[in-house]
Amino acid sequence: MKIDVGATYDTRVRQALDDERLRLALERATGRLVERRAAAIAAVDNDRFRNEARAVREYTVQHLPTLLEQLEHNLRRNGCHVHWARDAGEATDIVCQIARQHDVRNVVKSKSMVTEEIGLNEALGRAGVKVVETDLGEYIIQLAEEPPSHILAPAIHKRAEDISELFQQKLGMAPSNDPAHMCAVARRELRYQFLGAEMGVSGCNFAVADTGTVCVITNEGNGRMVTSMPPVYVAIAGIERIVPRIEDAVLMWQAASRNATGQDVSVYFSLSSGPRRPGHADGPDEMHVVLVDNGRSRILERGYGDALLCIRCSACINECPVYREIGGHAYGETAYNGPIGAVITPLLAEDPLSACELPFASTLCGACRDVCPVKIDLPGLLLDLRADMTEGGAGGGTERMAARAFAATARRPRRYRWMASVARLVTSVFSRRNSETVDTLPPPLSAWTKTRAFPRMASKSFRKLWSERNG
Amino acid sequence: MADPTSNARSEILDRLRGPLSAHNSIFRDGARRDTPPPIPTAVTDAQGDPVALAHLFGKRLEGVQGSYEVVEATDVARHVVGRIVDWRGRTSDPMTEAEGVLSWDPAQLPLPGLGPQLRDAGISLVVPDDLHDRESRDRAAALNVGITGVDAAFASTGSVVLTSGAGRSRAASLLPLHHVLLVPMRRLFPTFESWLATERGDGGLDDLVTRAGQVVFVTGPSKSADIELQLTLGVHGPGSVHAVIFDDPVV
Repeated sequence: MKIDVGATYDTRVRQALDDERLRLALERATGRLVERRAAAIAAVDNDRFRNEARAVREYTVQHLPTLLEQLEHNLRRNGCHVHWARDAGEATDIVCQIARQHDVRNVVKSKSMVTEEIGLNEALGRAGVKVVETDLGEYIIQLAEEPPSHILAPAIHKRAEDISELFQQKLGMAPSNDPAHMCAVARRELRYQFLGAEMGVSGCNFAVADTGTVCVITNEGNGRMVTSMPPVYVAIAGIERIVPRIEDAVLMWQAASRNATGQDVSVYFSLSSGPRRPGHADGPDEMHVVLVDNGRSRILERGYGDALLCIRCSACINECPVYREIGGHAYGETAYNGPIGAVITPLLAEDPLSACELPFASTLCGACRDVCPVKIDLPGLLLDLRADMTEGGAGGGTERMAARAFAATARRPRRYRWMASVARLVTSVFSRRNSETVDTLPPPLSAWTKTRAFPRMASKSFRKLWSERNG
Repeated sequence: MADPTSNARSEILDRLRGPLSAHNSIFRDGARRDTPPPIPTAVTDAQGDPVALAHLFGKRLEGVQGSYEVVEATDVARHVVGRIVDWRGRTSDPMTEAEGVLSWDPAQLPLPGLGPQLRDAGISLVVPDDLHDRESRDRAAALNVGITGVDAAFASTGSVVLTSGAGRSRAASLLPLHHVLLVPMRRLFPTFESWLATERGDGGLDDLVTRAGQVVFVTGPSKSADIELQLTLGVHGPGSVHAVIFDDPVV
């Protein structure tokens, strides 16, 4: 069953909980990733690893303007074009403009959260440019016209036979459910795209300020392809994705790899510092870097500097008991899900209340904080957000975030409706499916559910029933 | 016309400077980080003489579905040929039936004389000098074996690092289905960090990174688990990576 990402949160969660196949697939994927991560972390001195990674990120975020200027200077020195975008619209306009200048018809793209965040594929599509996703999982769901279900395993909800059927239909593949065969078919198809596309687009895992270098992590090699084969290469980077030095990039690469997939390191780590040099056989003739704010400076203004430390490894997502139940689609039309998504989706938004349910989609169990390679106190941030969103901060302090703006707009009936829907949501997440009771609730309600089940809230409130019957 | 992104630039930097200019912490735990942290220490560990490092590197590479052998310098050509013949026998991909091998310029390979030795064995090295037109790319992409040297190899993870340059195409380690890495023992380092420290100490690290255009770390064959979490190799890059490690005391 497909989950309608545009539906209300209640509906999305209900659809996700009712989708048995999705739940099983998620359980398998996250279970495997959690296990592998634990083994990879046990092999190293993780306290030191985390402290060093945290220190690099803290320094970076605290010195962001200086490092951005340094990055820009060094990228230009290396022959790159540097662009700045305040929001998604500016960012996509810049990329469309580059595409127009070079008569680009076909773009090959490697998986990237920020391009999803700014809606790049849609914008290029409107400009008449065809974008092909080249990560195998992304390619599959692009063919199927579905949203990704997991940040690392976007097609995890699809069975081999579903993918086989899709490839037979769209690529004319002979019937086979063998993953190796399907992979070979995708290799041939995408190879054709890589060699023919006029433009390659990637995200940016880290940009090195010292050297003017864009670093891209992949396992399949599509990151190498999009940065090397097309004549024009465009990297899209969130403005917080900086590290000061090459050594820091190598540290963060290892942190991302061990915590994402449990690998010592990813198969490929590509460091691009400008277009191909004279006498080189390959590499792009032009390299562009688009530095995207799109709400990141707002996160800092709202007092949530910690949220900018994130390196998008997804360890918190895999550990999260709520995510493992409901999956990525239930978080709605956002590029980011799981605990980190619940923090940054409302914070990136102009109106945090547009995603006000998300900070409540957590049991505050603390698993996310314990695994985070840069030690982000995610439960703490979620609590701050809840406080800021409800009253302007019983515990958060009025200087944090948009408490004032919220207090001004949220009249009592609206807040009541919102809180009630949150209660329905939370109890529906924590109750077993088809059960009328809730076995475990987050603190402080856990004091209750430790000893007894809490009745699930009625799916329709009395208010709603009343207005339906009398409206 | 004014560059519209210049407004964006100053606005973004100003918005960031606002909260950062205050003296209090921007983090929840009150931390401040006014000076750059020390250079990170090694995450992984490896020890031993070059031969021990060579075998450790090889074991790690095997751990990520690669393969290796440690051979005499005089025997490298024979082993490379043996490997290529073996791969040719196994491959059934019609895209990759051409005869030549996509290679770095022999002058960029760590073993002088390898080019002629391979040619004598019936394998010609194809060294592209410009891959910008579709035709030359398609020709390069039709070759099923690539041969490159390495800038450094890392024993603790089975990784190598390659810098692009004149005579050192990116394509040779990326387009073919099979990749031979020629690894002289003197290029072996225990860890990434030990290599970074050596390059930094020589004053050349930043220059090495920027001069190349692209530097890539490679750890085993291209892989994916996107279909039902089953491991598949050779998604876009090589599906097999074989390291031939040799000692070259006199160069």
